[in-house]
Amino acid sequence: MLLYNVIESCVLQGAEAGGFILIQDTVKCTGRGLLKCFINAALKRGEDVHVLGFESPETEVCAGLDRSCVQKLHFHKGFPDPLGWTRRSSFTVERFASQHITQLFKDTQQAKASVLVVDSLSLVLRHHDPLVFCQTLQELRKGGVIKTIIGLLHSDLHQQGVVGIVCYLASTVISVAPANNECHSVAKTTRRTKSGKVMQEEEYFSVSEDATLSVQANPRQPGHAQKERDVSEADPTSNLTFNLRLSEEERKAKQKVALPFVFSQEKKSALLKPTPGSGRIVYKPDANDDFDEEDPDDDLDV
Amino acid sequence: MAAPVRGMAGSISIGNTTSFQKKTRSKLVSIPGTRPSVQNGQLLVSSGVSSLDYVIGGGLAVGTLLLVEEDRYDSYSRMLLKYFLAEGVVCGHELFLASARDHPDQIMQELPSPIVDDVAGMKISEGQSQPSDPENPDTMKIAWRYQNQPKVQIALASSVRFGHYYDVSKTMEPELRQAAKCHSFYQLQETPVTTGSSLIKVFVKTSLYFQVLASASKVRNVLRLGLHSLGSVLWGDDVCCKDNPAHCHALTTFLYILRGLLRTSLSVAMVTVPSHLIQNRAVMGRIIRLSDTAIALESFKGSEKETNPLYKDYHGLLHVRQLPRLNCLSCEVPDTKDLAFKLKRKQFTIERLHLPPDLSETVSRVSKTELAAGCGTTATGNKHLDF
Repeated sequence: MLLYNVIESCVLQGAEAGGFILIQDTVKCTGRGLLKCFINAALKRGEDVHVLGFESPETEVCAGLDRSCVQKLHFHKGFPDPLGWTRRSSFTVERFASQHITQLFKDTQQAKASVLVVDSLSLVLRHHDPLVFCQTLQELRKGGVIKTIIGLLHSDLHQQGVVGIVCYLASTVISVAPANNECHSVAKTTRRTKSGKVMQEEEYFSVSEDATLSVQANPRQPGHAQKERDVSEADPTSNLTFNLRLSEEERKAKQKVALPFVFSQEKKSALLKPTPGSGRIVYKPDANDDFDEEDPDDDLDV
Repeated sequence: MAAPVRGMAGSISIGNTTSFQKKTRSKLVSIPGTRPSVQNGQLLVSSGVSSLDYVIGGGLAVGTLLLVEEDRYDSYSRMLLKYFLAEGVVCGHELFLASARDHPDQIMQELPSPIVDDVAGMKISEGQSQPSDPENPDTMKIAWRYQNQPKVQIALASSVRFGHYYDVSKTMEPELRQAAKCHSFYQLQETPVTTGSSLIKVFVKTSLYFQVLASASKVRNVLRLGLHSLGSVLWGDDVCCKDNPAHCHALTTFLYILRGLLRTSLSVAMVTVPSHLIQNRAVMGRIIRLSDTAIALESFKGSEKETNPLYKDYHGLLHVRQLPRLNCLSCEVPDTKDLAFKLKRKQFTIERLHLPPDLSETVSRVSKTELAAGCGTTATGNKHLDF
């Protein structure tokens, strides 16, 4: 259910603005379907969606989206020329900086909330310094113009450290992986709220042609649950040459034996009451004690 | 001046609870919220969490640096920072907060509210006394005097009350918060430079200002510094993304200068570092050596330890990496290194991880076969060599 919650509440109220949702995928399983679900949900809520498409054409991203809301979608063409070599793209990778992107939003600012979708952060990371990239992301989040940023990252294209720092910046991380059956994939969602609470869930999901998400029940945890080895305890009192068991009369007689230090109920409860504080030493000096008020360490030059 | 915890071979301290208080004869000006340490006379402040104070030797010494290695999702280290700042507000100390990812005002608004009930009363009510009752199956017949003692001494507490308790579900009253002087530094508002230069400039300004003010007015107060996620990418350091970072000297120089400044003033600093992101272990080792007290938080969330039945009561493990030797030859080492923490609504408790004794029959057998397989040949070797 966490995946549904994340998609539906993609842009929350003003208090949680500045969210950054990261979808991590690998070559084995693509996350672009999930990205389309996010775009679809945002369009249905009437939000302004700007897509920076560096890795896939507009037709592929917009296929299956709801026809009625498509005018809220602004696609900035980067594919097939993300670096601008043949000057056919409207937004190149070098222009991934906070002032250019904010300018894009200001040009088309109408709706109540704006969402930035980056089709692939991997391409941006290959051509920008990770420090500058993170600084840009932070400026975009706190700038106030954009409510949510959703990015797709191919985690097998980068070093572990770089993936780690992008996940550190994100408020929600969704990792997709292939599942055993071909039509579904496994999504592991980690969501960090502002108060520091962390929610994690692993679910099967599949994306249909019209960009709707269907989530199945949680997958079994393979091999994690350690089964308790049922050690059948043998009865130690059997098969002995001497008798260790008690008969009924012997048991009754044993219970009747009067123990020493058996007090009445009230005395026991009184003795068991907790006393406040720890030990105190009360000392009454008698006539022989020479109680000098002076501290003997006073003449030390410390 | 700092000693790693593992190096202490001959430390004694089994029962650290003592009710003795050092008699001070007005040589030290008494500052609210501080007390002299029982072991070496250093002036201590509370870190906000009383069980953490116990683990690090009574409290944080004034003039030292506490390094907290963050857990994976930065939930508990952020909580510790908030406790530290809340303790400063309640004791009337000055605060300085610097952060890069979240705005300092936002962190200040999330401070937990202090519980004003009597601490001693709370301790009694927590340890519920059971009057001995013959029908109650928990009462003991012969050793009934011991039935209210816990089975293992797991709670860490000292007998002298120092520090306050906080309720995490409520945030601190704005009036209380605004009564404390707070300086803040938000990295986003500055031009992106590396950690060292910008932060040092601001801190030097603050500390000098503070010292000038203090010497003028003869009212001495403690300054508490909180630095959140130092070394992360947003501070301008590439320590977290590269194996051979170009900026690691900036970070270590900053820590060195910071510690020098702390020693010359009445300040305490708490720095959190996202150590799980730092790729080069040598850098982390240098950072630990450059701080005085170093602890690491490891939370179970998201790791396979979450389902381990041993850890089901706790939220994570606490590792004490280093304790300082301040003006003395040996430091107070806690008597156990297996510490686990849990965050309850009214308390952040750190307890000894208590492993129940393994009474099954196969225990010793298993360990012997493992040893034999380690040094002998496994293909044809006789695995059942038992000595």
